Order: sequence, then C-alpha cells, then structure tokens
Amino acid sequence: MAQVQLVILFTSVALVVIGLYSAIFIDNIIKKIIGISFIEEGVNLFIVAIGYKAGGVVPILMPGMDTSWFASNAAYPLPFGLVLTSIVIGASTLAVMLALVMVLYRRYGTLSTKVMLADTSKREEYDE
Amino acid sequence: MKIYDQIFNVVKQFRKLFSPGPVTNADVSGSLTAEIFLIVSLVLSAILLRHVNVLLAGIVTLILAILLISNIPLIPKFKIEQEDSLEKMLFYAIVTLGLLATFMYWGGNLV
Amino acid sequence: MNELIPLMVIVPLMAALLISAFSKLNKVTKIFAFVVAICLPLIPLLSNYGLHYFGGYEPILDNVTGMIYHPAITYSFTFLQQIFIGAVGLLTFLVIFIYLTKYKKVSGPYLFLLFLGTAAVTAMMLTDDIFHMFVFFEILALAQVGIVAASSIDYSYEMALKYMVLGSIGSPMMLLGIGFLLALTGSVNVTDIAVAVHNGLVDAASPVFLLSLALIFFGWLYASGMPPFHTIKSGIYSKAEPHGAALLQSFTVISMISIVLIMFRIYASLPIFEVLIVFFSILAMILGVSLALTQTDFRRMIGFLAVGELGFIGLGIGLGTNFSITAGLFQALNEIIITALLFIGFGAIVNATDEVDTRKLGGLLAYHPKVAIMLLIGGLAMAGVPPLSGFQSKLMLVQASLSCGFPEISILAIMVSIATFVVFVKTYYTMFLKPKPNDLDLEGKEVPKAMIFAMGVLLIIVILLGIFPDVVTGGISNFVGGIL
Repeated sequence: MAQVQLVILFTSVALVVIGLYSAIFIDNIIKKIIGISFIEEGVNLFIVAIGYKAGGVVPILMPGMDTSWFASNAAYPLPFGLVLTSIVIGASTLAVMLALVMVLYRRYGTLSTKVMLADTSKREEYDE
Repeated sequence: MKIYDQIFNVVKQFRKLFSPGPVTNADVSGSLTAEIFLIVSLVLSAILLRHVNVLLAGIVTLILAILLISNIPLIPKFKIEQEDSLEKMLFYAIVTLGLLATFMYWGGNLV
Repeated sequence: MNELIPLMVIVPLMAALLISAFSKLNKVTKIFAFVVAICLPLIPLLSNYGLHYFGGYEPILDNVTGMIYHPAITYSFTFLQQIFIGAVGLLTFLVIFIYLTKYKKVSGPYLFLLFLGTAAVTAMMLTDDIFHMFVFFEILALAQVGIVAASSIDYSYEMALKYMVLGSIGSPMMLLGIGFLLALTGSVNVTDIAVAVHNGLVDAASPVFLLSLALIFFGWLYASGMPPFHTIKSGIYSKAEPHGAALLQSFTVISMISIVLIMFRIYASLPIFEVLIVFFSILAMILGVSLALTQTDFRRMIGFLAVGELGFIGLGIGLGTNFSITAGLFQALNEIIITALLFIGFGAIVNATDEVDTRKLGGLLAYHPKVAIMLLIGGLAMAGVPPLSGFQSKLMLVQASLSCGFPEISILAIMVSIATFVVFVKTYYTMFLKPKPNDLDLEGKEVPKAMIFAMGVLLIIVILLGIFPDVVTGGISNFVGGIL
C-alpha cells in the first residue's frame, strides 16, 4: 500500500511544478493566480501524505477501543490539523488577491500582467 | 583619455535613468557614488572566497574587477533588472528558489 | 504574572475584531483604540518571564527514551521578547495616536489591520511552535497587504497585488520546509525538533533535512525582504501611508528575527546555514544601498535603506558567535526605532508639501526646522554616528566580524555605513538645504503635532540607547547564551 503514498507525493510535486511554471510563463493574471494556488494545494497534499499510514485507522479514540492497539494503528493526526488551518489561510489569501484583481481590472480594462503590473515608476499620469 | 571619455559617457547615460524629469547634480553624483560603491563592494566580497581557496579568490577577484570596470556604467543595467514589474520579480524569485533548492539538496554538505 | 503572556496576543487581536465590528460608533472606537494602544507597550513591561502552555498541557516525559515532549503550543517570554514586543507596542501606540489625531472620522478596518499586524508579530516573537509561527506569518502578510492597499497613494493596489502574488510563492515554500521537518521529526515544536537534531535522531547531513533548510530559508527571504525580494519590500514601504510604513518595517524586522532565531536553533550545527545567511546579507547590503543612491522618490529611498540595514542584522546572526548575534539583535532593535523615526519624519514632509520627488523640493529648513533637526539626528543614527544607538550596534558588528577572522566583512560594513550616510546627506541637502524651487507652495501647511511628538519619543530612545547600550545588550547576550 506504500504506492498510494508515493502517488500522492508525485501528484503534489507535479502541482508545485505546474504552479511555478504558470507563475513565470502565463500572462493572464487570473490564470496566473489559479496556477499559483496549485503550489499551495500541492504543499497541502504533501503534508496530508506525511500522516498516511498503510492500513491505519482514523485517529479518533472511540469508547471500548484498546488503547495500545489504537496507538500502534491510528494514522498520525497532527498533519490533518495543520492542513485544515493552512487551507483556511490559503482561501483568505486567494480571496484578497482576486479582490485586488477586480479593482485593477476596472481601472485597466485588461487582465494582462504585462500591462497591469508593469513598472509604475516611469508613468507620469494617473487616471482614476 | 579613454577612461575619461568612458566616465563622461557614464554621466550622459545617467540622464536616461532619471527620466521623466530633470537631472540634478546631486542625483548624478549619487549615481556615480553608487557605481563606485557597487564595484568596490562586489570585489571586496569576492575576496571572502579566500576562506575556500586563496588561488580561486585571487582569480575571481581579478576577473570580477576587470569585468566590472570595463562594463561601466553598471547602474543603468543594474536598475533595469530590479524595476517594479511583476515579471522580473517573479523570475528572480523562482530562479533563486531553484538555485537554492538544487544547491542545498546536492551540495549542502560540501561546505 | 505569567497570565499576561497570552494576553499580549489576545488583547490586540480582540481589539481588532471589536473595532471592526463597532466601527460605526466613531467616538467610542477612537477612545477604545487609544486605550488598547496604551496597553500594548505596558503589558510586556508588567509581565513576568516564563512559559505559557496553551490548554495547560505541560511537557510530557517519555519514560522509555528519557526525552521531554511538548504537546501544547508554547509561548516563551524572556528579556528578548520583552524588549522587542515592547518596542513594537510603543510604535503601534505612536502610529495609532498619529492616525487618530489626523482624521476626524476613523476607519474601523484600517485600525483592525494595524492591531492585527501587531498581534501577529507578537505571536511570531513569542511562539515556540514552527507551524503556529507560519500561521501568524500568513496573517501578518494579509495585514501588510491591507495596510498598503488602504493608502491613498498612486499605484498602491498594484504593489499590494504584486506582494501578494510573490507571497503566495514564498509562504507555501516555507510550509513545505515545515512539512519536511514534520516528516523527519514528527513534531512542530521547535525545542523538540532542536533536541532531535542535536541528539542525532535526525541525520543532519541528509538531503531532505538540507532541503527543508533551503525552503524555510526561501520563506525567510520573502519575510525579511532580502534579495530577490528587496524591490517588492521597498515598494510596499513606499506605497503605504508614512505612519503605516513605519509600522510595516517594524513588522518586517520582527518577523525576520523571529524566523531566523527559530532556524538558528534548528540548523545551527550545519556550516552551510551561516554561509547562506552571510551571503544573502551581503547581497542585501550592496543592492539596498546602491539602489537607494539612485532613487528620486524619498520614500522609496528609505525603503531601500531599510532593506540594506537588514543586511547588518543578518550579518550578525550569520557570524554565529555570542557577541555577533547580540550585536545583530541590538541592531534589529535600533533599526526598528530609527527607521520608524525616518518614515514618520519624511511622512511629515509629505503631509506638508504633497510632494515626494526630491527634485521638486528644497528650502524646507526654514519652514519646518523641528522636523529637519530630528530627521538629521535620525539619519546620523542610521549611518552610525556616535554617540547615537546605530553607532553602538554597528561598532559591535564590526568588532564581531574582526574577531571572527573576517576583516573583509568589517570593511564592507563600514563602507555600507558610509554609503548610507551619503544617501542621507544627499537627500537631506536636496530637501532641506538647497534653495526653494519657485513653484513649490508651502504657505499655510503645517506638520501635524502628533507626528512631532512621535518623532520626539523615538529620538529620546535613540539617544538613550546610544549612551546606555548595556541596558539592552546584557540581557540579549544572556538570551543568546541560552540558545547557543
């Protein structure tokens, strides 16, 4: 059953690499943000995979369970707790980024990163 | 005369750095200071390589000094690479990440 | 009174939530924000040193292996935390005071962001749990972006979005590094991880351990604005309101030292760790100062100077001796106060002139002599002129690198100080001393009194720390002795 963990790890690596690729090579800012959020998902997946235990049980101690059996068979619960927090943070970051994109789209009328997020120090005029 | 002409050209090139807007003498002298500071500090930090190998440090320092001095003005080229566009920032961030991870994974024990 | 330790985080956090909920009641919000802001520097001064275990879960002794495990999120409060949290609390108080006096109608969300940022850095400084630190690091990034986006300066949204996009590469990489550490040791408590590494339970030479260092280090570069993130960091300073920028740079410095101290405790046995920190610090010093020399927007110039000064802190920690780390941390404290002074002072000039381009300014000495003199002293302190506080910490750094056998680094540090001085003198000359341009209208514009008060308070601290550095360095040195 160790293949399951291996497949998850490969998936997470693929997600991170896709995210890094899209950060450099994609021009549309929304697509870029979607790509970048892949990095975060990949990392979350990786941390979930750490807690994986082949043939393990859910780490909740039910009444009547043998504690020593439970201790040796339960999956590691800490990564799941961490990932839950990390997903919440990722969602709020994503929301803030998309809100900023919305404001900037209204101003520029385009989603191109080259136009919207170019160097601003050389521009003289500024129109609301 | 050649080096003098070169330095004169440097000052001329600084005009482009400060466009749009006028160029004051304080700005030009600041940029010249930056130019000299950049060359001296990079050469000086190359000397730190002597803790690895003295010969290597000597060669690198010499080559770096010749390269930097023959390529003045450095600051315009330098500043263009560090402007505020997201493209360049992301590019350098990811290149640094790649170099750091590669170097640490395969060469972290060499030091 | 150990109960006060969690309150250092809870008070600003609760205040942030309450203020944003009741921001319609203008007068009540103002009074409440002021009272909480006064409490912020007082709580760390009144609290006793000690540990706080959340949920009351005390450390467990494993009878089989004889090791101690920490199941709870632990806050540890020592002299180092006390001075840094005190400093950021004082700065928050001054910034909120400036903000409350500047506007008749206060914005609840903006105060929310200021308090949220303070709570986040306080938690980062206190915590002994690497994931807890990451969570507050992300909250801090959101607060920073909010403070930048809330300003009325041109292109602030663009800069905020750039910071956010770069952040969403930097922070997951840090989380990945934390994940590697979790996979290697099964714990996120820094003390437990450090014990596991020092006892040889984790192979310190394994590539995975080294990769976790690389990834957390990358996150640290993003947090502290070292190259390649120096352009974005100086950018967000220049696009925030001046008092906001003063607070933002203190957030940067504190997140930098809190992450680097955690990394130091885990990775100090690896020689590559110190090489990396020294390399990036030297790069930050060279790039920050040389770019500051070519700027015409003076807010951007201080932004780059602030990044360059961070190199000194990194240098002190990278050299790795007790004396050098003490010097680096002392430099961090000085930088928080001096850079805040400069940001508030130059912000006062922006307030009085509505102009940020040094080429269009001049002759301000006759109009704003108080601001001019205080800025002069602040700039001299940043460049390291005796007897101000910047001199003491830079002298310690130069001595430390000499005694470690790196005279090149000492020369470099002195050169960077001189270049900092050049940057400051150049800007000071063009703004205050050269004749006033004809089209610059200065009549009837005053500098807010609150800003002058804030600068005065910070200036007193700069001078006191310059004359009596032992008050702080002795305690820091004891702390450093504990983690070495």
